[in-house]
Amino acid sequence: MNDDPVIRTVGLCKRYGGKLAIDHLDLEIARGSIHAIVGANGAGKSTLFRILLGFLPASSGEAFILGRDCRSLTPADRERIGFVNEEHTLPGWMSVDAVTAMQRRQYRHWNQDAFDETIGHYNVIGTQKVSQLSRGERAGFNLALTLAQQPELLVFDEPTLGLDVVAKRAFLETLLYSNATRNCTVVYCSHQMEEIERVADNLIIMERGALRNMSPPDDFRSRVAHWVADIPFRGPDLRLVPGLLEAQRLDGLYHYLVLDQGEAFADFLHACGARDIHHLPVSLDRAVNGFLAKHHATPRAA
Amino acid sequence: MARTQALPIQIATGDPRPIGRQIVDAVRMRIATGELRPGAQLPSVRGLAQQLTINPNTVAKAYAELTAEGWLESRQGLGLYVAEPRQRLSATERDRRMDEAIQSFVHEVVALDYPPERAMARLDKALTVLAKKTA
Repeated sequence: MNDDPVIRTVGLCKRYGGKLAIDHLDLEIARGSIHAIVGANGAGKSTLFRILLGFLPASSGEAFILGRDCRSLTPADRERIGFVNEEHTLPGWMSVDAVTAMQRRQYRHWNQDAFDETIGHYNVIGTQKVSQLSRGERAGFNLALTLAQQPELLVFDEPTLGLDVVAKRAFLETLLYSNATRNCTVVYCSHQMEEIERVADNLIIMERGALRNMSPPDDFRSRVAHWVADIPFRGPDLRLVPGLLEAQRLDGLYHYLVLDQGEAFADFLHACGARDIHHLPVSLDRAVNGFLAKHHATPRAA
Repeated sequence: MARTQALPIQIATGDPRPIGRQIVDAVRMRIATGELRPGAQLPSVRGLAQQLTINPNTVAKAYAELTAEGWLESRQGLGLYVAEPRQRLSATERDRRMDEAIQSFVHEVVALDYPPERAMARLDKALTVLAKKTA
């Protein structure tokens, strides 16, 4: 077991026309546990995955996966990486058995038990054509194929997108409790905070192609706080509110969502003339949404 | 033979309390109300994680906190059990709280102008009931 990061990028950039999809990204993802990557649409997550898997060249900078340069991955490197994309793209004209047989030939470390254990959660029959499977069944089949190759690293791009509750649960159970994933590092991106709260050991937040957070989800949550204050006169100029993520005025009370302020924020509110001050913890969902909403492009207020 | 006791707790995502905190609070509450008795075995880390569909590391951290606080005790190779309540406090802390309880009792009794013998008799009766409850 080595301690090298499973993923490492140094000054990575990817330019699409005039836009930087990945902006000088320095990222290190440690081996072990489950890492969730969160970001608004267009934060660069899918572009990052494509570069990491060698499907797309970077504009500049370096990227390594399992210690190998992403530009020159060999088949032997690739069998150590399991990739599941959101579309669960598999050849629709082939039968489940035929796809399975093909994969079994491709991968030297094929583990039939891992395949059987995973596929057992789904109602998939070998003679079915892939195109006849439901989205959830295709996801399960894809996961079974990927786990059977016994990868060290699993990379998922929105794996549960569009799955119904039953299929989603089966997917998560396999991810969390299956023997096949026990020694895997999992890196996955998702928009579903409810799911991330349940599964992620580490929360990585990307914004506009750059890294914004890398910590356990609860540590991130505790950085964000919701304050409610009764300020009899006018509230402070929003540009002066420290760490402000979101401000609202509801029923005459001022609501502030702030980052990294601690109890000292009460002093700020008192200095602004606040009378009644309440400090509320926030959910992970609220913390992440507030954080991402701050820089989300919005039309200029009229 | 001790068997694993069901731990019928719920967790909610989207709550301001982290999932690990919710587990710690729920277990403490169940022990405090006597729903989980000393000596009862808790579900395994993996079992509870699966029951709640959460990461086993979250359960492991919650159990570690409960163990550090003395609510649970680990028996080598067997799992986690609800600890005897007295182990939650150090000897000095217990003495301090006992002194505090006696002081406040005495002050109340003084105010009631109750003769000490009668107070003792009543106290003795109350403690006998307590002894039966915990037996």
